[in-house]
Amino acid sequence: MKSEVATTSTNVPALAATELDAVDQRRAMVAKQPDTCPGHEHEEPTTGGITLPDTLRNLRSATPTKKLWRSMSELSESPEFKELLDREFPKAASEWTDEVSRRNFMKIMGASLALAGVAACTRRPEEIIVPYVVPPEQVVPGRPLFFASTYTMEGLGRGIIVESHEGRPTKIEGNPDHPASLGAASTHMQASILSMYDPDRSQGLLRTGDNSTWDRFVAEVMPRIDALRATKGEGLRLLLTPSASPTLQRQLKLLASQFPSAKVHAYDPAGHAPGSAGAQAAFGQDVNTVYQLDQAKVVVSLDSNFFVDNAGSLTYAKQFINGRRVREDNHDAAKMNRLYVVESTPTITGAMADHRERVKPSQIEGFARALLAKVGGTGGDATASNIAWIDALAADLTANKGAAVVIAGEYQSAAVHALVHAINTAIGAVGKTVYYTDPVYITSGTGTIEELVTDAKAGKVKLLFILGGNPVYDTPAALQFGASLEQVDFRIRVGSYNDETSFLCHWHIPESHFLETWSDARAFDGTASIVQPLIAPLYDSKSVHQILGLLTDQRDQSDYELVRATWGAPKSTITPEAKVFENWWREALNKGVIPNTKFAAETFAIRAVPAVSTAVGGDEIVFRPDPNILDGRFANNGWLQELPKPLTKLTWDNVFFISAGKATALGIPLTDKWDDAWGYNVTVSVNGGSVTGPAWVVPGHPDDVITAFLGYGRSRAGNVGNVGVDVSKIRSIASPWMGASVDIKRADGRVRLACTQTHQLMKGAGPRDLIRVNTIEEYEQAKYGPHGPPAHHGEEKTGEASHGGEEKHGVAAAPVAGAHESHAKPLGPEYFGGTADTAMARKAVRSVALTLYNQHMPSDPPYNQTTNQWAMSIDNNACIGCNACVVACQSENNIPIVGKTEVIFGREMHWLRIDTYYGGDSVEQADGPYFQPLPCMHCEAAPCEVVCPVAATQHDDEGLNVMTYNRCVGTKYCSNNCPYKVRRFNFFRYKSDDETTKLMRNPDVSIRTRGVMEKCTYCIQRISAARIEAKKHGGDGGDGIRGGTSFGKVEGENTPLTACQQSCPTEAIVFGSLTDPSAKVVALKSEPTDYSLLADLNARPRTTYMGRFTNPNPSIGNG
Amino acid sequence: MAQIFHPSMNTVAKATIIGGVLFAAALGALGSIVDRSPYVTQQGVIRDQPIPFSHTHHVKGVGLDCRYCHTSVEDSGFAGIPSTKTCMTCHSKLYQDAPMLAPVHKSWNENKPIKWNRVHNLADYVYFDHSIHVNKGVGCNTCHGPVDEMRMTWQHSTLQMDWCLACHRDPGKFVRPKEEVFNLAYDPKKEAEKRKISVADLQASLLNDYHIRTTGHLTNCSVCHR
Repeated sequence: MKSEVATTSTNVPALAATELDAVDQRRAMVAKQPDTCPGHEHEEPTTGGITLPDTLRNLRSATPTKKLWRSMSELSESPEFKELLDREFPKAASEWTDEVSRRNFMKIMGASLALAGVAACTRRPEEIIVPYVVPPEQVVPGRPLFFASTYTMEGLGRGIIVESHEGRPTKIEGNPDHPASLGAASTHMQASILSMYDPDRSQGLLRTGDNSTWDRFVAEVMPRIDALRATKGEGLRLLLTPSASPTLQRQLKLLASQFPSAKVHAYDPAGHAPGSAGAQAAFGQDVNTVYQLDQAKVVVSLDSNFFVDNAGSLTYAKQFINGRRVREDNHDAAKMNRLYVVESTPTITGAMADHRERVKPSQIEGFARALLAKVGGTGGDATASNIAWIDALAADLTANKGAAVVIAGEYQSAAVHALVHAINTAIGAVGKTVYYTDPVYITSGTGTIEELVTDAKAGKVKLLFILGGNPVYDTPAALQFGASLEQVDFRIRVGSYNDETSFLCHWHIPESHFLETWSDARAFDGTASIVQPLIAPLYDSKSVHQILGLLTDQRDQSDYELVRATWGAPKSTITPEAKVFENWWREALNKGVIPNTKFAAETFAIRAVPAVSTAVGGDEIVFRPDPNILDGRFANNGWLQELPKPLTKLTWDNVFFISAGKATALGIPLTDKWDDAWGYNVTVSVNGGSVTGPAWVVPGHPDDVITAFLGYGRSRAGNVGNVGVDVSKIRSIASPWMGASVDIKRADGRVRLACTQTHQLMKGAGPRDLIRVNTIEEYEQAKYGPHGPPAHHGEEKTGEASHGGEEKHGVAAAPVAGAHESHAKPLGPEYFGGTADTAMARKAVRSVALTLYNQHMPSDPPYNQTTNQWAMSIDNNACIGCNACVVACQSENNIPIVGKTEVIFGREMHWLRIDTYYGGDSVEQADGPYFQPLPCMHCEAAPCEVVCPVAATQHDDEGLNVMTYNRCVGTKYCSNNCPYKVRRFNFFRYKSDDETTKLMRNPDVSIRTRGVMEKCTYCIQRISAARIEAKKHGGDGGDGIRGGTSFGKVEGENTPLTACQQSCPTEAIVFGSLTDPSAKVVALKSEPTDYSLLADLNARPRTTYMGRFTNPNPSIGNG
Repeated sequence: MAQIFHPSMNTVAKATIIGGVLFAAALGALGSIVDRSPYVTQQGVIRDQPIPFSHTHHVKGVGLDCRYCHTSVEDSGFAGIPSTKTCMTCHSKLYQDAPMLAPVHKSWNENKPIKWNRVHNLADYVYFDHSIHVNKGVGCNTCHGPVDEMRMTWQHSTLQMDWCLACHRDPGKFVRPKEEVFNLAYDPKKEAEKRKISVADLQASLLNDYHIRTTGHLTNCSVCHR
């Protein structure tokens, strides 16, 4: 494969000898330097040898390349893999395998032709049109409205903006004004809209399984509640999941005053309890910890997946990535932050680490203790860890006093949390990179679920309201919650599904989705916001506030009134105060944030460092909520089930993570696993239980440790979610997130898994560096030569403030005269080979010379002067692999799910995939993974277009490679010819015909049917909307669409945002027009680290990438 | 070897070949005619409505502006069908007892919408936007025909793609000053005379003023299909 490019040059059609030479020269140059600048030919001789910018642009090729691979068979270069690489779909997915005789073939063809003819003779069905009787305020039919609301993750709020079409919420986006969202959205936030429209949601009240009504429920339960008043509520119990809702807090206080003997229990199925216990240990009281990673030069994660698992993770991810963007004017190692991760189960945070150490879960505490001693804290133990680089880390932390932070894992023990508080105090982090506030959760006076079970078994619980979670399923089986539930006299469950818990309760009351009810929530930093409903409840459902209203004599109040009362709504509506409140309320709703509710930073003194927890031995086990469906609450959400999990790219199943070493020890074959995606069964025995399920080798997983994921193996999840293996049987109550002395044995059989890791492969060997991974040192050397940055480099650093303006100028328009005046920027205009002042000109110079034909590319005149030229820049260095963009794309573009069997065939429909590469020469010592989001490249010379026999895929004059679904006849030639494998074919009628989920669809995007090819459109519906809006207001729709007014989906000057770009927490995806000189995408594309995928094919992709950089500690060496 | 076929079969064979070709051509032509016929396009077909609403009466007689009922035509892709409330602005006082209007009053009293039979039914894969056309000077009657002459409403144009493209390929012929969009009696000649320029110059100046791209943008697939 390495010679592939070189051989093409010998196959050039007959041309005049001189021309041939020229072509050969160019081609040879391309072969050597895939994405180089042809204008350079004239400059090279003067400098002699390879010039600096070339080494920079071809950084990956210039350095001794490390092997980058997606699967074990790719690493071992097995023949099966090579065959797979040549195929578009895995075996048997795309061909007709039956033996068809000639006669049968003729029959089928004849029938097809006849039927095709008949099918064309249809008339459009007659439709009716139904106007409003009285049109609602604000609604303009055909135009979306946007409302601010709040999504809660583990009870903590994240601001959202919800798009609504004629009263139907269709998409959830982040609220830029909310501190926990900053405009980004996580996978769960976005996918929760599907949960609302889930046809399996329970649709009415059930009394021991039979349909019933709210009135009958009230009639039955009220006498019981009234009877409890005599005993002040003795025997009345509530079970909640973590919440930070001020309204709920107010209602619970009211409940406590009316029923002083009633008890509220809280449990957290997805686990955040250790954090609060750790704070108790360290400070003697519960404390909320808020990080400020924008202040941090050094970040240490002790088993914390803070990119996704923390309520503030969207903000943290953005702050962290902002500290490591490699830009021409902000490049050097001194400016880039550094991440150390010590963890057991590989996470996406570990994937971003500059130094990652895999340890047993029990060793984290020892590491924390040793680190505490080495940074000079009291109570540590320097000998508690044997990790080689701990001294270098301690030195780095000490050198960056006040600019370093240590983050304790969400599932780590209280001792680790307490130790981390002590370390942060010792390294001067408190008040700078981390600060403490009062607890955000409602915690006062709540009991644990263990206490509830004990009391239930003792017969002390008369009336139980289960208001959150699904405890029969999502608690450790050892707790025997289900059995204890039978001892409760009367049990009421409020939940979205008639699930395992509801099955064991007398009453099941459907819970309103958060888009159907009023509530409120505090964010990770205390900022409060209102949960605003977008739609009246679809079914006969109630909110938790209404249930508590029933208990506290507020039965006549709606949830709207209850929430407003919390925030001080006056009783009268005509007083001046009422008017003031009304204005305040409307503004709070409009903005999606209640002003001045952020908690102030407070100081808490460290009291004590906890004693050593008991040491553990043997193989250990880690339990984690599934990254997609969490503790099982999203089990029936098809988007999340089919979303490839961040590291493994598995869908529809949970597996046990093991290391390659462990697999070999167990006799599990390594190489054939990922192509055929077989999970070999293992039996895991611990805590008195044992579970058999498929094992999966994950590079970077510690030996002697196994990771189990929750959320699967459900029995009553719905039509989608009853898949996978339930691991609750091997969880313990005391330590639900880790365990020791695990027995792991190979079991019989294997399970076919649906893994997308080896789907849509690109041929990436030889000069085609699909993903470029370098250290920041290598970058500096390529840029400045072997002697490193020039001497005045330090000056620039100290004089940063005064240079600020100039630097900015350099970014926006690097090639204009003046940029090269700064000595710190050797990449002057001469490098880009042109004098024109836009990136368009640079791109033209860089690639036009490589074409044989005098063809008019969309980026050539005259098109580029009159219209926008859309393009995208994706920064691999900023991509954390969180999948938010994939779900955003699915939600925006009505992308169907296909089910496990179809995924196995490689027929998943996601328009955007995230390729995951590992580096290194062996699975055991693999580094990474490195993530690369891959939408359609929108090639200027698109290979898909020329092979379409019906011109269903064509270019438009704004440089988009567009798909006309109604023209497509499904030959799949385009997909065959796409080198990036971004096209998706509807092998079946995947779209849902369910009436409820139809309501969720984006009306601005066509629904595709069977036999139609589809792919990323750069969100053309958003471009069109912005263009129409701009032109309606007198703009010409050019220059990245400016001059119009905005409505929702647009930023600043009305430039449309793609859905993936909008959801990305780290701004890794930037989209805009190349004709707009001030566009961010232009600045990014002129960065020296910008490169094209498979550039040697000269398809001229509009989507380009920026290299990934790591910043290892020089004193550690090979990290 | 004896002849299998009688010589007259030559004629039959020739006739079959020619006939076959003619038959195939006729079949194609028939398909084409059927496809363009009102049977398929619904052009000029009057559909029954729950209320025999007359545009002639309301537009020509009463003098209502299009936007009185089709309120969102300037703002949204969808022009808007009047709500019952819009009808009731007049008909709560006028012709209260007319049996013809009974469905309006029924709708109003029972709070149930009137279900109109859709006259212009574009395919779902076509994203037509009224607002941009209206804002760029495409008159209502350019597509909808003499609405003020329609006692019952019919579809004036074929709504087929070649009809769309006729304008998208050469928009100049079809644009008028924005303020004339709702004027069903607009005449480009008169407008040109008023401005003391030729019709061609009028069209050119309108294209320029309204930033209507004539370099091929309007015939991009992505303009209508997405």
